[in-house]
Amino acid sequence: MGQNYDYLKAIAPESSNLIKGLQAVQTREGYVSDASIVAVADYFHTPVVETEGVLSFYAQFKSTRPGRYQICVCDGTACHIKGSPLISEWISTELGITAGETDADGLFSLETVACLGCCSLAPVFSINGKVFGNLDRKTTIRILKEYRNK
Amino acid sequence: MTISDKIRKIKIGMASCGIAAGADGVLAVLKEHADKIPIDQVGCFGHCYCEPVVEIETVDGGSVLYSRVKPAPESIANILALGKAGRFQINPVRQAKELLKVTRLAGVIDPTSYEEYVENGGYAALAKALAMTPAEVVDEVKKSGLRGRGGGGFPTGMKWGFMAAKTAEQKILICNADEGDPGAFMDRSLMESVPHQVLEGMLIAAYATGSTRIFIYCRAEYPLAIKHLYIAIGQIKQHKLNLIAGREIDIVVKEGAGAFVCGEETALIHSLEGKRGTPRFRPPFPTDSGWQGCPTMINNVETFGNIPYLIAEGAASYAAVGTATSKGTKLFALAGDLAHPGLVEVPMGITLREIVFDIGGADPAATKAVQTGGPSGGCIPVEKFDTPVDYDSLKALGAIMGSGGMIVIGKNRCMVETARYFLDFTHRESCGKCTFCRVGTKRMFETLERITAGAGVPEDLDFLAGMGPKVIKASLCGLGQTAPNPVLATLRYYRHEYENHVNNRQCDVLACDKLVDIKLDPAKCVKCRLCIKNCPVDAVSEDFIIDNNKCTRCNTCIEVCPKDAICRVKKGEGFYRE
Amino acid sequence: MSEIKFILDGREVTAAPGQTILQAAGVHGVRIPALCYNEKISRTTSCFVCVVKDVKTGRFLPSCSSCPSPGQEIDASGPEVRDMRKTALELLLSEHAGDCEAPCTLACPAHAPVEEYVRAGRNGDFLECLKILKERIPLPMSIGRVCPRFCEKDCRRNVSGEAVAINDFKRLAADLHYDEYLEDLPELSGRKVAIVGAGPAGLATAYFLRRSGIASVVYEQMPRPGGMLRYGIPEYRLPKAVLDRELAHFSRLGGITFGCGRKLGENLSLDELKNNFDAVAVTIGCWKPAAMRCEGEELAVQGIDFLQQTALAGWSGENPGKVIVVGGGNTAMDCLRTSIRLGSRDVNCFYRRTETEMPAEAIEIEEAKAEGVKFSFLTAPLKLRRENGKLILTCQRMELGEPDASGRRRPVPVPGSEYEVEADMVIAAIGQNTAAPGGIRINRWGGIDVSEETYHLEGKVFAAGDCVTGAATVVEGLAGGRKIALGIVEFLSGGQIKAQPEFTFNVSRGHWRSLAKDDLVYLKEDVSDEPRVKLAYIPLQERRTTFKEVCATTPRAEMMAEGQRCIECSCTAKGDCKLKEFSEDYLAVPDAIRGEKLRNGYDNRHPVIIQDRMKCIKCGICVKICQEVVNQNLLSLKKRGFSTKVETAFGKVLPLSCKDCGACVRECPVGALDWKIKE
Repeated sequence: MGQNYDYLKAIAPESSNLIKGLQAVQTREGYVSDASIVAVADYFHTPVVETEGVLSFYAQFKSTRPGRYQICVCDGTACHIKGSPLISEWISTELGITAGETDADGLFSLETVACLGCCSLAPVFSINGKVFGNLDRKTTIRILKEYRNK
Repeated sequence: MTISDKIRKIKIGMASCGIAAGADGVLAVLKEHADKIPIDQVGCFGHCYCEPVVEIETVDGGSVLYSRVKPAPESIANILALGKAGRFQINPVRQAKELLKVTRLAGVIDPTSYEEYVENGGYAALAKALAMTPAEVVDEVKKSGLRGRGGGGFPTGMKWGFMAAKTAEQKILICNADEGDPGAFMDRSLMESVPHQVLEGMLIAAYATGSTRIFIYCRAEYPLAIKHLYIAIGQIKQHKLNLIAGREIDIVVKEGAGAFVCGEETALIHSLEGKRGTPRFRPPFPTDSGWQGCPTMINNVETFGNIPYLIAEGAASYAAVGTATSKGTKLFALAGDLAHPGLVEVPMGITLREIVFDIGGADPAATKAVQTGGPSGGCIPVEKFDTPVDYDSLKALGAIMGSGGMIVIGKNRCMVETARYFLDFTHRESCGKCTFCRVGTKRMFETLERITAGAGVPEDLDFLAGMGPKVIKASLCGLGQTAPNPVLATLRYYRHEYENHVNNRQCDVLACDKLVDIKLDPAKCVKCRLCIKNCPVDAVSEDFIIDNNKCTRCNTCIEVCPKDAICRVKKGEGFYRE
Repeated sequence: MSEIKFILDGREVTAAPGQTILQAAGVHGVRIPALCYNEKISRTTSCFVCVVKDVKTGRFLPSCSSCPSPGQEIDASGPEVRDMRKTALELLLSEHAGDCEAPCTLACPAHAPVEEYVRAGRNGDFLECLKILKERIPLPMSIGRVCPRFCEKDCRRNVSGEAVAINDFKRLAADLHYDEYLEDLPELSGRKVAIVGAGPAGLATAYFLRRSGIASVVYEQMPRPGGMLRYGIPEYRLPKAVLDRELAHFSRLGGITFGCGRKLGENLSLDELKNNFDAVAVTIGCWKPAAMRCEGEELAVQGIDFLQQTALAGWSGENPGKVIVVGGGNTAMDCLRTSIRLGSRDVNCFYRRTETEMPAEAIEIEEAKAEGVKFSFLTAPLKLRRENGKLILTCQRMELGEPDASGRRRPVPVPGSEYEVEADMVIAAIGQNTAAPGGIRINRWGGIDVSEETYHLEGKVFAAGDCVTGAATVVEGLAGGRKIALGIVEFLSGGQIKAQPEFTFNVSRGHWRSLAKDDLVYLKEDVSDEPRVKLAYIPLQERRTTFKEVCATTPRAEMMAEGQRCIECSCTAKGDCKLKEFSEDYLAVPDAIRGEKLRNGYDNRHPVIIQDRMKCIKCGICVKICQEVVNQNLLSLKKRGFSTKVETAFGKVLPLSCKDCGACVRECPVGALDWKIKE
């Protein structure tokens, strides 16, 4: 076991816990590196190639280090018809990144997600898990500025 | 700050929707100024449109609701003085139409408090069930007519019966909390607001079916729900409620990792086994061979949420509500183009009109359709709103009940673009196993992309109409079997919109970016230069003309214009600089 | 457990317990196609090509995974089922990118297997190269010199640089081994066929008939056989000594005799042939010059007559003085370059369109220019007259207008642009038509009126070559000859004469013009990036003054190196691809459904295995074989949905030990995982 992965020991080393293990790594590191894949595969007695196959199947996992603030723009149905594509575009204009990218300072990364379950407040996005609802252009840009100045 | 002496308790809605609307800020200010009064953090009571909501329980047993509370001292002062500003009364029409059974305690009790749940009748149903034989419990569920709330509508009692009949060392019960429909949040709300009720349903099911282990497969996007589940499970273990028939039942929460297809039971099982979430052919059905080969039964969160009151009130009472084939109440997540989005619980058989207009407050004149069942469902045009809501009526219209997402689509929305949106979602969520789903949905999506971009041809409509039913017929799981529904339903009811895109290269409602121009009306313009300042691509010239060659149709100028001088117009009507 | 009775295609049949519908159907002789089904592994249920219909419920079931239930009524062959399978195949084809057959082979009118003979040449085995060639090209020595190289025009190497010098393999292989290689020949059957015309089409007919054990007599109006090869194509392009060497082989085959000086309609009659032979092949070519359609054109010499005269004179003759050749085809080039060699230093080509539209081969134009030919484009003849012993040609300037039926822009006269030029000889090389003797039916394009598919005229008479197609190339003549030879064999054996279309089903990555360098798939890692081999021309002075062959045969070592430039486009699985097989059965069309194809790349790093993910149909058989049968777990499906792909851990190369296993390679239903060696 590598020096960094002792925290996996809290999870039973059964192959059915593979996803849980990958989630633990991502919670800790913010992403799952190739080295982590090898470590997790080893711990859960799963072939590396299969671990990679599992990892790449699920949208949750990231293979590169995300920014300090992870913006998830909800593109659920309610948000979509309430203009989430415009929200994404405004964020892109403000930060100069598009979905899937992290800005040069490593401050923000942007992605679109299926649904945050806050449809009644559409359109919404979340930053590091905190959800902001009833967005328009002004609030969107205000929130981004607040985070930038934090 | 003066605090009214009539206040006994303060409740604040702290479900995800409340927090997203700023309830945490309100709570902080409340705590600062009302440190002597008990503050209960409750779940969601369904009226999401007025979040953040603060409810004041008065000493005389009354209650005063405040909506859209701001985290400012003056607005908190108003509340603490029981001021008139910001008071809110639940629409009596909605109150009359709703029937709160499953959500009776949602937004009423503190989800993290075991005691509050028990005080309000919690776990009485479990006790009642344990006094019956397992077969009697299964029978009760059968008699109630309860059908799975996850979308399929399979009779729950029958499934329990199959499971109960299996003898095995290990029998697995799974709660499907992977609420993947974009636009649905019933399950989230239940888990956040009344986690004990959902767990009580599972414990009753475990007893009735002889299950030995419970998994809750929950979306990772629902951190608060997961947190509340963990708290409730801890309390259950503390009170030894999971000791059933002398056996300790393990309850494990597993987080999904972002795959819509895992709502499908065989895919979900694979995911729980730590594998890629691909479905497999049935038979064998999970009740014969599921998680690691064990008999496995999967029910949805809302289904489990129904169980405690079903058992407590009895099957006959339960079945008294609803229609011939669809019993009980149903939760709907109302969102989209309407005044009062939120979570509603209504008896089966109520009409769409009542839900969308009377409860949801949508403007009949501005409403085009409602989408039920999310990306697996279809749209129902406003002309058909007198249809009673039950499993079979919706199916007859080309839609489905689904899990209960209900998106109101206003007249200003393009139906082709809506179909494109759904296919964009489903083709990306396809697991990639079946040819028709993997390639068929992709090709349908590409066709819709072309049409919304003004590059469609009449044959494209034939292709969609021909490929859709084939994808439905030749896909292994619910994802592929329903993915074409939004396209086929919109083609059925809104073919003229498709034809307008294809034949005239026009979008009826000026929604499709590639078919519109942006134009500034000089008569309305006050030359404030906000559009010039804010345009990200410098498409607005100093003499207030928008160059549609440069313009990306981002709508920023329309948003910032104080005079509504800028609007979307038909392609070709805007100005193009050479 | 007892057997299960169910109804399959209206027939009551039984299935063993646990047997799937697919397996049971196989037992009862109903063949259901399936791509992802493999009995060595747990079921994958992915391709849905095996769907059947449950008649009572109307549901479609993957028969590879469904077991029949008692009394179940299964439709496994009906039109609705067939349509579903066809759609499944077309969906798979829409994401499948590859080349069933290499574009060079498809482009070759004779469909010579280019990749195969180039590979033999690359390996230094030019005898093998020749053997492969001669299955399609009976005149490799001539073709190796005069072919306009259709194959090279479609060669994928054109994407970056120049095509492989494919045709030079034929020339070298034939030069090296032509005399020593004698085909395996069957005994003569006693049947005899008359062939009229000893040009390329007639020679090919005789050759392929002989290879089927049928003798022939080849009649020829000229003194010696060869047709255009001898009397049209100049000595400097095809030395007649070479042709003689090539034709000598026909005598060695036994059963082919030549009857020269016999002309159909003059001293040879069709009826006589019909009476005396089992079948007749008419391959009389195109020897009637087309008219210039200008006043006084009778004063001009006809191009083919000019060439024929020079040929009969042993490629010698008087200096023709100032020459104007009217026309822009290969015959025009031959006349121009022959005039130079006869001593003229004022040789002019008048063509009514521009160089871009010229039908002559680019290399011919280039060589003509190098030898001193002057070109006047957008120039059309109006009138020819003789004045004081000199010819005066009145010409008119043209400009290009709208495209015509051939897609070329139509030349339009510029009013008032007429001018006159003087010349000693004006040669008309506008084109040739078929001069069919009476009694032979002619179609409205002037060719012999054969069935388009079979080249069968009527009764025992067939026709092929220029007299059917209009003036074409040698290789097209050979292809036509082969076609009627096969037809005659069929006819003589009493069978129905039917078309034998080849490559009717072919998936293509697209024309090289639509591709970028990165789109090419290299079978081997060591494809050469060297430039194309250069032809060794004789000195220009010799070219202008003698009829010596313009360039020498490229030597062996250089051709072996040239062969390293071939990327071997065709599919490794072209012989055993199930997707192709079923697509042919179900008439699935590769481009019926269009859309994005993933650029998932390929991996040729392993010494003997190539993985081409663009061909993959994501059935996952390889993953399961490696996991469940080999117990190695080297592969996994990655990503999901349309982006799904099969890959090793971190995309590493497969281990060397895979060469001893190859279980995945053997089970891949398409060519996505395959041996690099082509069968």
